[in-house]
Amino acid sequence: MPLIETRNLSKTYVMGAENVHALQDVSMTIEKGEYVAIMGPSGSGKSTLMNLIGCLDTPTKGEYYLNSKKVSQMNDNELANIRNREIGFVFQTFNLLPRATALHNVELPLIYNGTPTRDRQDMAKLALTKVQLEDRMDHKPSELSGGQRQRVAIARALVNNPSLILADEPTGNLDSKTSEDIMVLLNDLHRQGNTIIIVTHERNVARHAKRILSILDGRIAEDQIIKESDRNGVH
Amino acid sequence: MIAGSLFKISFDALIANKLRSSLTFLGIMIGVTSVMTIISALEGMMGAVAEDLSALGPSTFFVQRMGMITSEEQFLEMIKRKPLDLEMEEFIVNGCPDCDKVTPRSGTQAKVKRGNEALNQVSIRAARANMIDIVDVQVEQGRFYTSEEELYHQKVAFIGDKIREVLFAGVDPIGKDIKINNQKYTVIGISKKRGSPFGGENEDNFVYIPFATYMKQFGRPGRYLSYIIKAKSVEKLEDAMDQVRVILRSYRHVPYNEPDDFSLLTADMILDFLNQITRVFRLGLIGISSISLVVGGIVVMNIMMVSVTERTREIGIRKSLGAKQKHILVQFLFESLILTMTGGIMGIVLGYIIAKSLMGMIDMNISPSALAIISGVSISTGIGLIFGIYPAMKAARLDPIKALSYE
Repeated sequence: MPLIETRNLSKTYVMGAENVHALQDVSMTIEKGEYVAIMGPSGSGKSTLMNLIGCLDTPTKGEYYLNSKKVSQMNDNELANIRNREIGFVFQTFNLLPRATALHNVELPLIYNGTPTRDRQDMAKLALTKVQLEDRMDHKPSELSGGQRQRVAIARALVNNPSLILADEPTGNLDSKTSEDIMVLLNDLHRQGNTIIIVTHERNVARHAKRILSILDGRIAEDQIIKESDRNGVH
Repeated sequence: MIAGSLFKISFDALIANKLRSSLTFLGIMIGVTSVMTIISALEGMMGAVAEDLSALGPSTFFVQRMGMITSEEQFLEMIKRKPLDLEMEEFIVNGCPDCDKVTPRSGTQAKVKRGNEALNQVSIRAARANMIDIVDVQVEQGRFYTSEEELYHQKVAFIGDKIREVLFAGVDPIGKDIKINNQKYTVIGISKKRGSPFGGENEDNFVYIPFATYMKQFGRPGRYLSYIIKAKSVEKLEDAMDQVRVILRSYRHVPYNEPDDFSLLTADMILDFLNQITRVFRLGLIGISSISLVVGGIVVMNIMMVSVTERTREIGIRKSLGAKQKHILVQFLFESLILTMTGGIMGIVLGYIIAKSLMGMIDMNISPSALAIISGVSISTGIGLIFGIYPAMKAARLDPIKALSYE
């Protein structure tokens, strides 16, 4: 059973009198342990696809199975549960709580599944150690560099041992050196067995993945497996 | 477990916005303070009246020419009634087996002097020596007069605290003389201070003298004669009242088909009556002071709306990490509840202090009342819930995608 399976996934927005088909009949599967980049220009529907895969939104039509669970018909509470247990988000703008320490930010997903305080702190410390921030736990986001902030966000995504790490333009707000560091970190996480999906419009970022799904006008335009020879220079 | 963590999140958010939180807190505190001051003061007043009346004891009742007047017709009927007279006393004593003690009561106002100090319009009260067995007269110092002193028309006086305060500043009054309208009386006892429940007539501005002595100086009492009667026990109270009613009707020749031309009153009846006539007044005061609570509630709602809008992104982040609607709802409700409940508790304490010092100005004491505390806590909790629920629901229902992209 694949980790992700979509059948004719469609999303239509009603804008005034007009129907905008953001996504049309997307059918695909992603296996556990894959490293996939979803590419496409802005307006292509890749964000819509990411929102659906990330269980932030529900499709207008079609089916979506995550870990054999039919997510496409779940209500708000069930979706929140799936987001909490199955998905770790990494956002372009980091989306950390500005007033909370790195440690508290990483603890957040654990609060909502009722993990006891002590376990929560142990798990959060472990996740921060994995991203080499063990000496920055008590710093607030404003006291961290962009790269460090994104590492905190990655630690937060990891802390619950999710089935899927979903990164939306994870290097969009970083300089090229830091971007490369973050991509190396994601590559490492993939090597350790995590399933990773990156949404991006940058080739440089996408080439780290093993498979690229190109989205155009709300449809999958190309599904391409990257050969090792194309991944030269990638660590 | 989750609730505890959510509470901490709410608390931290309030601490992070100290100025805003304290202004909101202040709004609620002022509202609760004003309501609590009014409730405590009113309770204190009614409590003082009830305490005064309870000094009469539960087995005591009054016989009066006029009763409690609630309408003009009643007044016009009562004003035509014959006065009570002193001969009735013997009939009641002999004819009412369930009556334990009986005393006539009358009074007037007079000038009380000692040396150059004088008090005008002192309430001179006349009763038999057994008054002390009927009414719980609280003796601070000395004693009440005896039936021997009454029998021999002794000029002895049992004085209220106001008389002691004004005429005997720094002097022990016992055994000293005072003049009531230029007749000399010896002070034999002083009453405990009682204060003035309604800030008007001072309850300590009186002199008790034996009934016989009173008649010698002021003559036979006319319209202002009444009786206080103590039944043998609380259970016998109604029987005693019935016996007195029968005696008085026959003594005053009231035809069987006519109503009584006198009134029998118990302390409970008087208290009920007072409660009834002051009810609208009390509710009005509480209602007016509650306006400030509504204003406080609006402040809470306004601040919570601002807070939700400002933290839209935070809500989006929390939702993307798995927070359910109820988690967000509870987080924001906790915030408004923490504000209103702490404001409420401070308001109760402050209201009590203000009421206590206000009542102190009119020589009255109040004690913390369960009613005031319970209503204070529930009112502030209610405001937190009512005015906090809409902003909290608004936060809980935010769409995570829109909230995350909110700038």
